[in-house]
Amino acid sequence: MDNIFLLKTGWRSIWRNRRRTLITLSSVAFGLLVSVTFTGSADYAYTNMIDTSATMGFGHVTVAAAGYNRAPSPSLVLSGCDLVLAAAVKSGVRAARLRIVAQAMLAAGGRSSGGEVMGIDPAVETGGFNVFLRDIVRGRMFTPAETRGALVGEVMARRLKLVPGRRLVYTTTDRHGEMVSGVARISGIFRTGVSGVDNGVVVLPLARLRQVLGYGRDEASFAALFLADQRQSRIVRNSLARHFTGIGREILTWRETQADLAGLIAMDRAGNYLMQFLIWLLVAAGIFNTMQMSVMERRRQFGIMQAVGMAPRWIFFLVMAEALWLGVCGLAVGVVVTLPCYLYLRHVGLNLETLIGNDYSAAGVLVDPVLRLRLFPETGLVIVGFLFFIVLAAGVYPGLVAARTRPIAAMRQR
Amino acid sequence: MAVTEMLRMEEVSRIYRRGRLEVRALDRISLALAVGDFAALCGPSGSGKTTILNLVGCLDLPDDGRIFIEGGDIASLSSAALAALRRDRIGFVFQSYNLIPVLTAAENAGFVLELQGRPRAGIRQRVEEVLVEVGLSGLGNRRPDDLSGGQQQRVAIARALAPEPAIILADEPTANVDSATAAGLLDLMERLNAEKGITFLFSTHDERVMQRARRLLHLRDGRLV
Repeated sequence: MDNIFLLKTGWRSIWRNRRRTLITLSSVAFGLLVSVTFTGSADYAYTNMIDTSATMGFGHVTVAAAGYNRAPSPSLVLSGCDLVLAAAVKSGVRAARLRIVAQAMLAAGGRSSGGEVMGIDPAVETGGFNVFLRDIVRGRMFTPAETRGALVGEVMARRLKLVPGRRLVYTTTDRHGEMVSGVARISGIFRTGVSGVDNGVVVLPLARLRQVLGYGRDEASFAALFLADQRQSRIVRNSLARHFTGIGREILTWRETQADLAGLIAMDRAGNYLMQFLIWLLVAAGIFNTMQMSVMERRRQFGIMQAVGMAPRWIFFLVMAEALWLGVCGLAVGVVVTLPCYLYLRHVGLNLETLIGNDYSAAGVLVDPVLRLRLFPETGLVIVGFLFFIVLAAGVYPGLVAARTRPIAAMRQR
Repeated sequence: MAVTEMLRMEEVSRIYRRGRLEVRALDRISLALAVGDFAALCGPSGSGKTTILNLVGCLDLPDDGRIFIEGGDIASLSSAALAALRRDRIGFVFQSYNLIPVLTAAENAGFVLELQGRPRAGIRQRVEEVLVEVGLSGLGNRRPDDLSGGQQQRVAIARALAPEPAIILADEPTANVDSATAAGLLDLMERLNAEKGITFLFSTHDERVMQRARRLLHLRDGRLV
């Protein structure tokens, strides 16, 4: 039997009951809209959180001395930083930055507080890869010439009564475990919105911190690598691992350095998938019901088709052709309905600030209060493919029922 | 050697069971039709006319006895082979037309040809021929709903005729049409029988059909009388 004839007959058959077909197409379209919205908002939120988290210090991929991630210490030093940066550039990273991090006691004007000092290179750092530069609310970033400049979080600045121009003393341990101190002058104050960060981080010039901690010119705590697409982190990690295998370095993705965030995302994603699965199940049940009804109403027709010589397998294929059309048309309607919503939510978004505020954070990362969508192309294809599969799957049993129609019994039906 | 026997039934019985109830629809029926016969099964309702057509049309299997079509025992055929036999050698005309509502008259007429996988151009040409033969030239694009009962029955005949079957089984073909239309349909079937040598086997209550049939097979309570 000619496939075109089969498709033509299937196409006309689905329009025998126009209202029912339109309801079915609407349910497929609704499934697509819900899937795109759920997945798109999750992908946007996850990417946003991962990228923000990366700019807080570790990047999407981190190269450090072996054991640093498990027990960070100034004594675990990443050496050969120039080689690391060169290898990173070869691996296609967007940017690579060196960082020195140490726990410190911070004091100013008779007040003190525990926190963390982070050394960065002001000559190369930009707001795009460093949340502290991006979120300066008072003062400015220190220049390369200002060897004692410092950025401090807003909460800590308030507690220690720091303003730009004031002095800050930090005390920490150097690479040998000896107590060391340094003096910095506040050049700017940042506000990330994450209280733990705004109350605990002081950003200092990398070169100065090297001196204080006794690091060499080619040494740092770790190299933070930034990618254009966070989903490439495993590929880059594996690529770099080939360069540095067995030489006392560890190469980690954000999943390891930001384990809390990775766990939160994994849990949220599982919940998201479960919700979508339930919605898809409802969609599938609706389509199945429609197709089963359609088949039961046409038992006589299938009986006649068999009587005149149509093999049962072709009757099955005919019902599957109807399912195919329902899938194609449902997805086409779905795209027409979903695309404007997607584009609006992608470019404008839905401001949820009144519901969640503008300082909501999860796993130490500020969450964007504006709901936006970002659907990765491959994810979109998976959704479309899965919905299409569901519609086809919903047609299998009705197709088998139609194929098993006994002509004599069916033709007795009126 | 040319096959002259179209159909042979030997001691065929068919029993319908519903729970403990058994209805003997056919009781050791034996009959034979030659190629080119124009025969009618007649008898009251429940006498077994449709059961014979179902068995001869390979839509049902006997409980006992054997059925031969063009010399071949249908009991030895698989369900796929039976479907192919129905498709290629047997034409059906039903009482209530039984056209496929989503297809046009031409597509209905060519439906079996599509099942046979014939080339599109060949199907188009053959359909045009059979529509002319049944007097429906120019109505090929109409859907069954847009045709009268007589026209729909002509489409059904065209569908049965298109693959050039050896036998056409017609179950009460004139039951749902007026006298003039019935006469026209019988003329058409007589002509096809005469010109193309197609064997016809009717089941009927209709006196007009019985008058035209060259062989009458009377049934009562599942037996030939």
